[in-house]
Amino acid sequence: MTATWVGLARKDFADAVRSKMLWAFIGVFVAFVLMSLPVAAQLFPDAVTVTPAKAMAGVAMLAQLFVPGIALVAGYMAVVGERRSGSLRVLLSYPFSRKDVVAGKLAGRLLVTVTALGVGYAVASVLVAVLYGVPDASAFAGFVGAGVLLGLTFTGLAVGGSAAATSRGRAMTLTIGSFAGMVFFWKPLAAGLYYAVTGSLPGLEAERWYFALKRLNPLEAFRVLASTALDETVTAVPEFPVEDLPASATPEQLELANRLGGEVPFYLEAWFSVVVLLAWGVVPILLGYWRFERADL
Amino acid sequence: MPVIETHDLTKQYGSGDERLVAVDGLNLRIRRGEVFGFLGPNGAGKSTTIDMLLDYARPTSGSATMLGRDVHEASESLRHQVGVLPEGLGLYDRLPGRRHLDFAIEWKDADDDPDDVLDRVGLSTADAARTVGEYSKGMQQRLALGMALVGDPDLLVLDEPSSGLDPLGIRRMRNVVREEAASGTTVFFSSHVLGQVEAVCDRVGILSDGRLVAVDDVETLRETVGSGSELRLRLADEVPTDVADLEGVESVETAGSLLRVTTSTPRTKALVVAHLVNAGVEVLDVDSEEPSLEDVFAAYTTDRTSPGAEGDSSTEREVVA
Repeated sequence: MTATWVGLARKDFADAVRSKMLWAFIGVFVAFVLMSLPVAAQLFPDAVTVTPAKAMAGVAMLAQLFVPGIALVAGYMAVVGERRSGSLRVLLSYPFSRKDVVAGKLAGRLLVTVTALGVGYAVASVLVAVLYGVPDASAFAGFVGAGVLLGLTFTGLAVGGSAAATSRGRAMTLTIGSFAGMVFFWKPLAAGLYYAVTGSLPGLEAERWYFALKRLNPLEAFRVLASTALDETVTAVPEFPVEDLPASATPEQLELANRLGGEVPFYLEAWFSVVVLLAWGVVPILLGYWRFERADL
Repeated sequence: MPVIETHDLTKQYGSGDERLVAVDGLNLRIRRGEVFGFLGPNGAGKSTTIDMLLDYARPTSGSATMLGRDVHEASESLRHQVGVLPEGLGLYDRLPGRRHLDFAIEWKDADDDPDDVLDRVGLSTADAARTVGEYSKGMQQRLALGMALVGDPDLLVLDEPSSGLDPLGIRRMRNVVREEAASGTTVFFSSHVLGQVEAVCDRVGILSDGRLVAVDDVETLRETVGSGSELRLRLADEVPTDVADLEGVESVETAGSLLRVTTSTPRTKALVVAHLVNAGVEVLDVDSEEPSLEDVFAAYTTDRTSPGAEGDSSTEREVVA
């Protein structure tokens, strides 16, 4: 073994196992699944018969907070932690490039996230089957796939922020701060912008760009993917009633094609949300690496 | 071909009034096989220079090569041949000492025996089995030095290698440096503790405020500052006034019963003592000192224009030229 990013990734994963970080994430995610699934019926405002798809939609609703949370905590110290502790100086006194460091850290943390989510979703699949019946295979695959993709995206965002940051505080602002912005401010800001441009809040029918702007939020992209796979609405948490929608609006009226009053452009189709999620993982990594490559350590 | 060469190497932080020039137009040439001591007070720019050599920090202007290759362009391949003990390094607290050496050997594609390395830096097998979190600063420094030795480097770059070491550790570090030099390795190391480098260095460079104020071999530097030795005596009686007239005595200072005599040659010291004894003066205590690098250092890093500063600027020009 020479000094390569693969060696670093392996070391990083081994460190995560040794430091119990991996076990903590698995524990948190499994606990989350165990707590949310049996009470899935309570996650819906009305009394409903909980089908497997509905149960999974409930899990997905909570997963939009839990999965990024785990991924961010797993990743935000990846590079800046070694930078602050001085161990980066040890690594870079061997024939590693800075690219090796970022790639190795990214791979190591992706593996941590995927392992934690893999165990969690395995437990979830058993629970869904036992409690609510065997789910449709493709719905289940979409449900797991969307969750894992969300985890990978936020791990990329976290490691990218970690590479760009010079301190732990800066890394937290860049990563966990971004996440808070997506959860709390994205939709109100999008609606606010819509109001500023058109003079009214987005109603049942609205301009294309408003929907596009909303879907650029990786959390919205995840909801779109999970909703499409399960054929059940995965609601945002928290839900901001910033759109001017009549209370009597039917689910049919709320469908995107109807709200657009015409053809759905490609960037508003469900598959495009995969691109959005990937971009939110890849772009921060590239920017973070770009900063890291030029930084004085 | 010099092993290390810098051309107007400059590092500046900030801009405008906030501007701090940490390293200012540094031109260094380190020859193959020599032990070079890079001296200067804290904040002189030693670590910044080393950081640039190791590509941890990028120069504002100028360039540097090691082993004939650009330190930035060839940084990865250079690290196969350069052993590094950087300042501010942090080892992995959760990993045992031996695991660190295993990594160093693996990453350098080396075939060193970890036990040999441990032995050279004075760590026991039991020490190596403990996690680094339990190590003292000195043990960490020994381990880090050991990691730098892995792979039989052509060049060793050590930033303050004696920091945290006890006297025994310092002696061992010196021995390691001597052994490496004897096997043909070039050693470049920085220190602000002069007495510790005097013994092992072939040449010394003194850095002050980011500028190289002197480069020479240890002996020449010592001569430049003054070949004289200092003799300190405590006398029972009044100090006789005629000591200053003796041949070879450069200056005499008295304070009560204390006599401080600076002589041009070490031999004059014996003459002074003999003279006093012959004159019937009772000598209670004798203390003498060779000029140390400390003096050299002080002479070069003190601002000469400030009142009370010793020496004159002509000395500086002589040495730098």
